[in-house]
Amino acid sequence: MMRNKKDGGIFMESRTGGIINTLDFKKPGVKIVYWIFFAIMILVALVCFVPPLWLILSSLKDIKEFYAIPPTLIPKTFDIGKIRQVWTDYDFLLYYINTFGVTAGSLFFSLVFNAALGYFLSKLKPKGSAVIFSLILWSMMLPNTVGMVPVFKNIIDFPVLHVNFTNTFWPMWMMAGASAFNVIIFKGFFDGIPQSLVEAARIDGASNFGIFYKIILPLSRPVLMTIAIFTVNGTWADWFWPYMVLKDKSVQTIMVAIFNMRSASMDIQFVGLSLAIVPPVLLFLFFQKYIMQGFTLSGIKG
Amino acid sequence: MNLPISDGGLIPKRRKPLLLISIRNNISSWLLIVPSLIFFIVFNWQPLVSGVVLSFFETKGYNAVKFIGLQNYRDVISDSIFRQTITNTFIYVGWSLIIGFLVPIIIAVIIDEMRHLKSFFRFSVYFPGMVPAVAGAMLWTYVFDPGQGGLLNMLFKHLGLANSQWLQNAHLTIPLIVITMTWRGFGGTSLIYMASLQGVNPELYEAASIDGAGIWSKIKNITIPSIMPVIKILLILQIMGVFRVMQEPLTMTEGGPNNASMTLMLSSYFYAFRYIQAGRSMAVCVITFIILLILTMIYFKFNKSNDEE
Repeated sequence: MMRNKKDGGIFMESRTGGIINTLDFKKPGVKIVYWIFFAIMILVALVCFVPPLWLILSSLKDIKEFYAIPPTLIPKTFDIGKIRQVWTDYDFLLYYINTFGVTAGSLFFSLVFNAALGYFLSKLKPKGSAVIFSLILWSMMLPNTVGMVPVFKNIIDFPVLHVNFTNTFWPMWMMAGASAFNVIIFKGFFDGIPQSLVEAARIDGASNFGIFYKIILPLSRPVLMTIAIFTVNGTWADWFWPYMVLKDKSVQTIMVAIFNMRSASMDIQFVGLSLAIVPPVLLFLFFQKYIMQGFTLSGIKG
Repeated sequence: MNLPISDGGLIPKRRKPLLLISIRNNISSWLLIVPSLIFFIVFNWQPLVSGVVLSFFETKGYNAVKFIGLQNYRDVISDSIFRQTITNTFIYVGWSLIIGFLVPIIIAVIIDEMRHLKSFFRFSVYFPGMVPAVAGAMLWTYVFDPGQGGLLNMLFKHLGLANSQWLQNAHLTIPLIVITMTWRGFGGTSLIYMASLQGVNPELYEAASIDGAGIWSKIKNITIPSIMPVIKILLILQIMGVFRVMQEPLTMTEGGPNNASMTLMLSSYFYAFRYIQAGRSMAVCVITFIILLILTMIYFKFNKSNDEE
């Protein structure tokens, strides 16, 4: 067996759990059971991969094959022209640009404002910060079912300013800046950075912001990376609030667009769905190491 | 810098003035989080309070007009489909426990024991998690398409079985929606279990092997107890999450056929944005909130008495 501490690529093996040890593994009975479970896992993997693959492959078929009876599982024809036509007819470039705009802003808001709050709760800790921390903890634990209408009200008539934020990206950006989950993850990570570093910088005359910018953030690469990827993926997939807020076609994101395409014919919808699914899948392929890590960072420990 | 001076508990604690003094003394610290706090207030804390308040008012548009006490609650509860909606929501939770609770635990233990393709399996179970929820829901609507072009009907035809109505069948619609949710979610949950399995001390297994314990006994006596705390947390999170399900039925069936997949949060959404009855919508939300609170309390009570044994 290959032993690799870094466990980087998808085909590298890390240590097994240890329920079946090497001695057990030599028994024929255990071996049979092991391979049965191996076969089950292959089936599970198929269930995971087949539906999206079926969608993407079907969207490549030309229209005649798409509606052919009996339907084909693996396409015989490839119609790139149809994809190009859907791309231009439905203005997917615009949806990609809009989604990119929402994502970039949300990324900025969640990295800056959630991290700042995490730093405040972990390292600055002035008197009274415990109140803020328990408020944030509660807003994560309490099932927030009641917020839907008041949040919408705040968006169409922002408190104090009385601005209507419909058809702008601001609501999604600001909501990204108010993620209790991210704040808690940031706080947990910053707790691991020695307080003495902060004190030393303070003696050297660094300001609170200077310490955050020059000491804390450079030491927080892994958590920043993980939160960034989860935010990008989450924003790309976000549908409900963009659907509520972005009513004008020119500002809609790709998720809103494919939802609104439901009245289109099936083959066009398939192309649209493929265009919506492929980018996050690519993101996953590039950054899977950080995504997998994110689950150990999320702080649920045995 | 201010030196922390302990008052030795002599000065009685007065919360608000103390907080204000703290803000004055540490103004640069508090300034740093002003934007974050504004976002939390506008999108988290104020809506929670004003939502509850709104449920006691007659509303016009999204504004409170007149205090009417419990009238919204009476209207909502006396609605003919309310009882079905509550039952449905519990059925969702029930199916999600049957389908979605054990699967990630079993998958995690199996993957953790794999000597071949381990990382590939880990990759593959998480793969559906990267498909955006709405796209996933729409994709599965086509897998469950009642026509001949649906993926499952295609498969059934190959196996010589009759076509099914799938989501249009009132008895199947909730379990199928739960399957869709599980398909997207189980990989992430499995990864959390795998992370906690990595924390199990391998010496325990070795010691058990020396004592002649079989594989099943190792799973029962070492693996399961070791990951029990995580199982408990994820169980309550799952119940709370599924109880609030809205997006999947909204995108897949719009609550149909004939309200068979209607949930509490979905009916709240319809009240708010389809019938523009914000007060009633908030009443449904508060009812949901109270049921969840009771469930959580029962869970913690049960959990505590379990721990004391």
